[in-house]
Amino acid sequence: MSDDQQASRYSVQEELGSGSFGVVYKAIDRFTSDVVAIKQVDLESTDDDIQEIQAEIMLLSTCASQYVTKYISSFLKGHKLWIVMEYLGGGSLLDLMKPGNFSEAHVAIICRELLLGLEYLHREGKIHRDVKAANVLLSTTGKVKLADFGVAAQLSNIKSQRNTFVGTPYWMAPELIEGSGYDFKADIWSLGITVLELINGAPPLGDLHPMKALVEIPRRPAPKVEGSYSRDFKNFVAKCLDKDCDRRPSAKALLGHSFLKSAGRVEALQELIERKQEWDSHRKGPSHKDYYQETLNDMPSAHENDGWVFDTVKQATIAPRKNTTKRRKLSVNHANGQGLVSGAEDMFKKLDLKDAPLDYSSPSPATVKRVTVRKRPSIAQLTTPTKQRQASSQKRPLQPDMSYGNSASTVRVFRRVSDNSTMGQVDSDVTTALVTTHDENRPPMAETVTKDAVYGRRVFNKVVDPAFQEMHALTSNPAQREALSRLADAWSAFDALDPEGEYQLMKLLIQKAQNDPKLSVQLSPSKTSSRDITPQTSPQKPAAKLVLAQNNPHLKSLRRRQSGMLQDEPREKLANLPGQEVPGIPHTKQIEDVLYGRWAGQLRGRWPNV
Amino acid sequence: MVSGMINEDLLYLLAVNLYRLPFESRKDAQVIFSYVLRFKPANASPKSDPIAVSYIITNKPEVLIELCNGYDHKESATPAGTVLREVLKNDSAAAIILYDDPGAKSPNPQKGLAGIQPNAVQSGQGVFWKFFDWIDKGSFEVGADAFTTFRELLTRHKSMVAQYLSANFELFFEKYNNILVKSESYVTKRQSIKLLGEILLDRANYTVMTAYVDRGEHLKICMNLLRDERKMVQYEGFHVFKVFVANPHKSIAVQKILLQNRERLLNFLKHFLEDRTEDEQFMDEREFLIKQIRNMPAVPVEPTQKPAQLGVAR
Repeated sequence: MSDDQQASRYSVQEELGSGSFGVVYKAIDRFTSDVVAIKQVDLESTDDDIQEIQAEIMLLSTCASQYVTKYISSFLKGHKLWIVMEYLGGGSLLDLMKPGNFSEAHVAIICRELLLGLEYLHREGKIHRDVKAANVLLSTTGKVKLADFGVAAQLSNIKSQRNTFVGTPYWMAPELIEGSGYDFKADIWSLGITVLELINGAPPLGDLHPMKALVEIPRRPAPKVEGSYSRDFKNFVAKCLDKDCDRRPSAKALLGHSFLKSAGRVEALQELIERKQEWDSHRKGPSHKDYYQETLNDMPSAHENDGWVFDTVKQATIAPRKNTTKRRKLSVNHANGQGLVSGAEDMFKKLDLKDAPLDYSSPSPATVKRVTVRKRPSIAQLTTPTKQRQASSQKRPLQPDMSYGNSASTVRVFRRVSDNSTMGQVDSDVTTALVTTHDENRPPMAETVTKDAVYGRRVFNKVVDPAFQEMHALTSNPAQREALSRLADAWSAFDALDPEGEYQLMKLLIQKAQNDPKLSVQLSPSKTSSRDITPQTSPQKPAAKLVLAQNNPHLKSLRRRQSGMLQDEPREKLANLPGQEVPGIPHTKQIEDVLYGRWAGQLRGRWPNV
Repeated sequence: MVSGMINEDLLYLLAVNLYRLPFESRKDAQVIFSYVLRFKPANASPKSDPIAVSYIITNKPEVLIELCNGYDHKESATPAGTVLREVLKNDSAAAIILYDDPGAKSPNPQKGLAGIQPNAVQSGQGVFWKFFDWIDKGSFEVGADAFTTFRELLTRHKSMVAQYLSANFELFFEKYNNILVKSESYVTKRQSIKLLGEILLDRANYTVMTAYVDRGEHLKICMNLLRDERKMVQYEGFHVFKVFVANPHKSIAVQKILLQNRERLLNFLKHFLEDRTEDEQFMDEREFLIKQIRNMPAVPVEPTQKPAQLGVAR
C-alpha cells in the first residue's frame, strides 16, 4: 500500500496533545472503524537525524505487551511521519490528577501495572528513562500503559550500562544525574518519584528550578512518603527510592512486595476517569478542540522558468528576488510556522513557554529530548569555535530567566555529531547545560549598588536600548528583525541581572574596537561615509552598533565581511588559484587551507590485507 | 553448542525462514544470532574472529546474503537488520555482501572471502545492489532499516569501500542518483543526499570525490536540489554543492555551468536558507562559496590537475 493510501485510510479528528517530536491526533481507521492515535512528526522542522526517530519507532515496534502502548504502523505523508498507535481514551495520569491527588488504593493498582510493564521492557533489554505521570496512559477500561518512548534506550547486551543523560530532571535517578552509568534501576527510581507525584500532586523538589533540582537530587537524602499512609506503602516507595541503585530492587522483585498484595483490579481505575469527566463538565468555558487541518503546502511542482540554466545562456534577468521570497514563504508553511528557527531552537521555544518550575494546571510538561545540533562534515574542520559559539547562542533570550531546562521537560542530550562522529561524544555536552545552574544562585534582579552597576544601567538606557530601537527601525528583513529583537531581549535580560557586568562588557567592547587600528578608523563617525561596503549588505549602517551586536550572527558575519574586504582587497584577485590564500576572514582561509591540503594530500585508499 | 549449530546449518535455516516465525520468536532468533555470532571459545585469542563468523565468511556466505534478503519481508526486516549491522562490524563480512555477484562474467569458484575479486566490475546482480530497491520501494519501516544498514556498509570500512566505489563508480552513482537522490520518499531523499555528502567528504574517498565533482551532470542534479521546495533537502544539497565549488581543479564542464549561472547563483546564495542564523558553520561556508563563485575567471580555464584515475588500486 502506498503511503498516500495509508494516510487516507485514517480520518483524523481532534488533537489529543503534543508528545515528544510531534502532535498527537485522534483518528478513525476507515477499514476497521478502530479509533487510533496518530502522532505526526514534521521532519522538515527538525535538524535531528531522522535515524533517532526511526530508533524510537523500532523500539516501539518490537514491544508487544498489554502494559505498553501498542504500535500499529508508521508511514510518510510528504515530509510528515505518521506514527499510528492504539488510542487510550482514559488520558494520562497527569490529566487524571487535575481533579485531585490519587488515593493509596489507586496508586497500588497503578504501581503493579507499571511494574509489569517495566518488567516486560527490562526483560527485553529496554530502558524507558522517562517514567512519569504524564507518560502513563489509561484505557477507558482502566488498563495502565507506558507511553512515550522518545528517550527510551535499547541495550543490545543485557549487562550493559548507559551513560546518556536523558529524562526529566525531577524524576531522574541520582546515579543517572551523576553520570556514573546506570541501568534498568533508573526506571525504578522514576517509578518511586511518580508515586510521590500521584499522591502529592507534584514530584519532590517540583518547586525548584529543574536545573537546581538536578543538583539537589544526588545531594539530598531520598524523598519519602509523608502522612497517614500504610507502612507497606511507605516501605515500597522507600525501596524504589534507594539512592544506592545496587540495593534498589528490580521490577520483578518489587512485584512480590506486600504493598501490591492487596491491590485491586484495574477496573477500579475507571473511578479516576469518571472523576475527571465530572470535573471537566463542571468547569466553565467551552472546551475548544483543535481539529486536524490538512496543511495546504503541496505546492504545484511545475517550476516557473527561473531555474538554473544548463544549456544555452539566457539573460539572467528573471528576478531572483521574487523567487527567493517565494521559497522563504514556503519554508514557513512547511514547518507550520516554525520555519524561522532551527530544530534546536524549536525545542527551546517549547521549553520557554513556562517560566515557573512546574505548573501543574497546565498540560503535561513538555517532553523534550535529545536535541541534535548536527555538525556537518565540513570542507574545513572548524569544530571548536563553532561549538562554543553555539553553546552560548542556545539560550533564547525572551524573558529574564531563560536558561536551559526552564520547564519541567525531559532533558535531551545536546549532541553534536562531528565529522567522525561516534556515539561516545553524546554525553559530554551535557555539562554545557549544567553550567547554567550557577546563574540560578543569583537573585533574579541584582541590586544596583556599586558604581559600575549604576554605569551599567546608564549604558543600557542611554546607549544600548536606543541603539537597538534605532537599528530595529532600520532593519526591514523579517528574519533579521527577529534576530535583532532576540538579541535586544537578551541584552535587557542581562541588564536586569547584572548591570555591573554590562558595564564591564561595554568597556571591553570599546577598548577592543579601539585597539584594532582598522576598526577604530572605521568606527569613528566622521569617516563612516568612506566605508567600503559591498552592495548587497542590508541597511545596517550605524557603525557603533555593529560592535555592540556582536552576538548577532547576521551582524557578525556582515562585520567580518567588511573587515575582511578592507584588509585584503588588493590580493583578492588572485584568490581563485589553488592553494592561494583566500583573502578575508580567517575562517575562510582555514577552510581553503584544509581543503587544499585535502586535495593535494595523498589520500587514496588502499585495499587492506583481505 | 555453537559448533553444533554450525554443523546443523541452523544459522542459514534461521536466516532463510526468519520472516515465517511469529513475533516473539523473531526476537528470540535475533538474540540467538547475536549470541552465536559473538561467541568465542574460552581459549581463543582475543583478536580472532568469533568461530561462527569465520565459518560464515569462509564456508557459508549465504547466511549473510539471506540475512540481507530479510528485507524482502516486513516481518524480518528489523531483526535481520539488527543482526546484520552487528556482523558488519567485521570487514570480511562487509566485503562478502559488497562483492556478492551471482551475475559475474568469470565467477570465482572459491566460496566466501577467498572468492572475492576486488577489482572486478560488478554486474549489479549482487545482493548489495538490492539495497537500492529495498530502501526506495519498501514500506517506511523496511526502507528505514535498510538504509541504516546501507549507510553502515558504506561508511564503516573506509578503504575497502573506497576501492569498491572506484571500481563500480558508474553503476553505483547511476543508481544512487536516480533511485535514492531522486526518490519520491522524503526520508530516503534527505538521508541519501546527506550520506552522499558524507561519502564525498571522507578522506578515504578522495579518488571517488574528485571523479564525482568532475561531472557536469552531477552538478546539475545537485543544483536542482538547492531549489527543492523543502528546506532540509536544500540544506543537505548545499553540503554536496559546496564540494563542487570548493574544488580548486574544476572541470571545464563544471566551470561552464557555474559561470552560466554565476549571477543567479550569487543572488540565490545570498538569500539561501537565511533563517539559519544559528548555524555558524553553514553561514561561513555559504560566504565562502559566494566568494569562490564571484572570483571565478570569466571563461572556463583548463584545470591544472585532472581527477584521480578510477578503479586503479594503488
